[in-house]
Amino acid sequence: MAEAPSHSEKLKSWDRMKVEGFSKKAPVTTPYPFTDIEKPPEFRGIPHINPEKCIGCGACVQACPPDALIMEWDKEHGVKRLTYNAARCIRCARCIEVCPTGAMEPTTRFEIATDNKEDLVEVVEHKLAYCEECGEYLDFTERQIEYVRNILPKEIFDAYALEDRIKLTQEEKMRRTVVKLRELESNVYPAFMLVEKGKEKKGGEE
Amino acid sequence: MVGTKDLEAHFEFECKACEDGRCSKADVESILAERKGLKDFYEAFKEHIRECKRMTYGQYMFVIDREVLPEAVLWWHNHPKFKETHMSTAVGTDERPLNGHFAYMPFLNVQVEPFKMDENYWVFLKVYTPADDPSFPSVAAKLPAALWIEREVKDLLGFKPVGHPDPRRLILPEDFPDGVYPLRKDMDYRHSPITEPRTEYRETPEGTTLVPMGPVHAGVEEPAHFRLFVKGEKIVDVDYRGFYSHRGIEKTGEGRLTYNQVLFLAERICGICGYQHSVSYAMAVERLADVEIPDRARYIRTLLLELERIHNHLLWVGIAAHLVGYDTGFMHAWRIREPVMWLVERLTGNRKQYGMNIVGGVRRDLLDYRKEEVLKVVKEIREGTKKFLDIALNTNTFIKRAEGVGILPYKVAKAYSVLGPTARASGRKIDARLDQATKTAMAYHEVDFKVPVYKEGDVLARVLVRMDELFESLWIVEQLIDQMPDGDIFTPIGNLPEYQEALGFTEAHRGEVVHYVMTGEKNKVYRWKVRAPTYNNLPAVPEMLKGYHVADAPIIIASIDPCYSCTERVQFVDVETGKVKVLTEAEFNELSIKYKGVF
Ligand code: SF4
Ligand code: SF4
Repeated sequence: MAEAPSHSEKLKSWDRMKVEGFSKKAPVTTPYPFTDIEKPPEFRGIPHINPEKCIGCGACVQACPPDALIMEWDKEHGVKRLTYNAARCIRCARCIEVCPTGAMEPTTRFEIATDNKEDLVEVVEHKLAYCEECGEYLDFTERQIEYVRNILPKEIFDAYALEDRIKLTQEEKMRRTVVKLRELESNVYPAFMLVEKGKEKKGGEE
Repeated sequence: MVGTKDLEAHFEFECKACEDGRCSKADVESILAERKGLKDFYEAFKEHIRECKRMTYGQYMFVIDREVLPEAVLWWHNHPKFKETHMSTAVGTDERPLNGHFAYMPFLNVQVEPFKMDENYWVFLKVYTPADDPSFPSVAAKLPAALWIEREVKDLLGFKPVGHPDPRRLILPEDFPDGVYPLRKDMDYRHSPITEPRTEYRETPEGTTLVPMGPVHAGVEEPAHFRLFVKGEKIVDVDYRGFYSHRGIEKTGEGRLTYNQVLFLAERICGICGYQHSVSYAMAVERLADVEIPDRARYIRTLLLELERIHNHLLWVGIAAHLVGYDTGFMHAWRIREPVMWLVERLTGNRKQYGMNIVGGVRRDLLDYRKEEVLKVVKEIREGTKKFLDIALNTNTFIKRAEGVGILPYKVAKAYSVLGPTARASGRKIDARLDQATKTAMAYHEVDFKVPVYKEGDVLARVLVRMDELFESLWIVEQLIDQMPDGDIFTPIGNLPEYQEALGFTEAHRGEVVHYVMTGEKNKVYRWKVRAPTYNNLPAVPEMLKGYHVADAPIIIASIDPCYSCTERVQFVDVETGKVKVLTEAEFNELSIKYKGVF
């Protein structure tokens, strides 16, 4: 199989005159919309979410100026929903820039007129991870955890004991921290924990 | 001599700027010595000056008493030595959450020496008014340049310019209730009240007939309503009602967006000079963050600004030809223009709305092999335009309709602070590219070009100014490509300081674009004010129309290259309340029958 040309090759070889076939008589006009027109490869069309790559991190939602991307949590069913609405999109491509996984894909599509509004919407649903301890859903998705596992070096995992804590709710994490601190006798305790410790000692004496 | 101590003594507002060491009250003397003229102003008004400080390079602020506002503005505007100084615009801010006052602040573009960016500077004259009495003496009574802006702050913030000659509603729609002020901080940006419509047109003067033009302009296809009062064929007087496409952009920018998101909104203010808006906004924020952007980014910005100018001048000359009935010229001008659109589409990713800017630099680099393409297009355009002008300027249809029509004398142009090619056709030596320090965001000081100025002040002069400028722009593009430095295209900005103010500005193809930004907490924008050049040029149009024939009106109006949508920035389109009512066909017919003969 012949190798596909690289992106910069494509950029170099694209030639409008060849693609659109202008004539001497009509040097800048084409019979569009009766013919198709092809946009150059640099063209910023509407973006498209690749559901296989998206991890549901929400970076794109933060960056999008006109709120064309929305993130919703449905903790009851354990899903996180990323919705893209082409009708609001101003094609600024900020989302493509900030996406950590390359799930936001640029396209050269620009004809989005439709008689059905739903054609303009793309939805990606993610499964939320749940706490190993209490079974409650977490704020982030399973894929986000997977992604963190992949990019963080092993040392950091070890140093912060992340492996044990990554799949816990915030409350559970805090609880465990307290328990751990209690275990370490020689620790300098913050004020709010001293009270607890005092109680504990009393209990022990009894 | 008033020293720092005395200034402190009668300074009564809590100024946040000094807390982080930016305010330079401590060395007033050295600040005043930085530029020519500051000291004189200080001497003349020292009883009334409460604070002076340097905002950023070449931008100075004086906080003055409101009683002397008109005198202070006129002192600068009519400065005997600084001939081209003008009042650029003003901003009204609701600073009640900060210090319990409203603030009104005219900006003066002080021109010590035309085209010397390191000598000229901006002066902000800030007046504070108490929250319960937001009034100030009107500048507009003596200076027409302030006419619109004072009506604007009256509409949007509820200020009272005392003695304003024409205090009708300017911006808000006819069906907006009185006493609701959208730009006050206590109004939510989604709120959109509505009442019975009420129009405030001027009475038709005695002995004249009313010829309404609009609400959609015949050639520019944009909403603006001119009411021409005519005697026979001759226009005697003109009334104007516009702002039909007011969109509430400033309020949205202040409400929920971060500073980088506002940038993309800024670019979409206008479909023609969008890139100029985006550069101006980016420049204001970069000034506030106090960063220097990489040279390559400055060059790429300048390149795109000039390409934008080239295609817009061609677009405009096409429309002008169309309006005088020379449609062949229209077609050819647009044919010549198209390759520029194709070029920018490949450089940036779109024909318009380039999306190239980000605060701190640009987003796409210029690939080296593209340079040849740019030069090729430049060559094509130069040849094409030369040929076109050769023919167009020898066509009687064109010349006869343009020569001696719509004359705007220098004095009137200056009084209205007319900008851009319209001003240069009337002999004003101004060009924001060189007049003010654009060097932090653009590269105009590193290329060589001339600024064409004509004295005639008629439509033909405006055509010629633009065409001369187009050739200069082509020359600038060639130099930029030749000198393009290597390096990064982006510098990170970091956090913005809180409650600081700065201006960003550049010359669009119709005049200077000004963006004023005041930062708020957490990298948000507290106040964002946009002034498109048409905002200053349009009020002068009635002056150009008077005395000419009705048939000349479309071309005279179009000769300033008006752009209504960017002038009017700011309509509350509210999707949620859905107050807009669509008439059914039956209802429409009923209404038409009822009002038959009334409209
Ligand atoms: S930034 Fe990318 S990965 Fe994150 S939610 Fe958006 S599309 Fe998915
Ligand atoms: S292209 Fe811009 S407007 Fe469209 S979804 Fe992405 S960030 Fe939002």
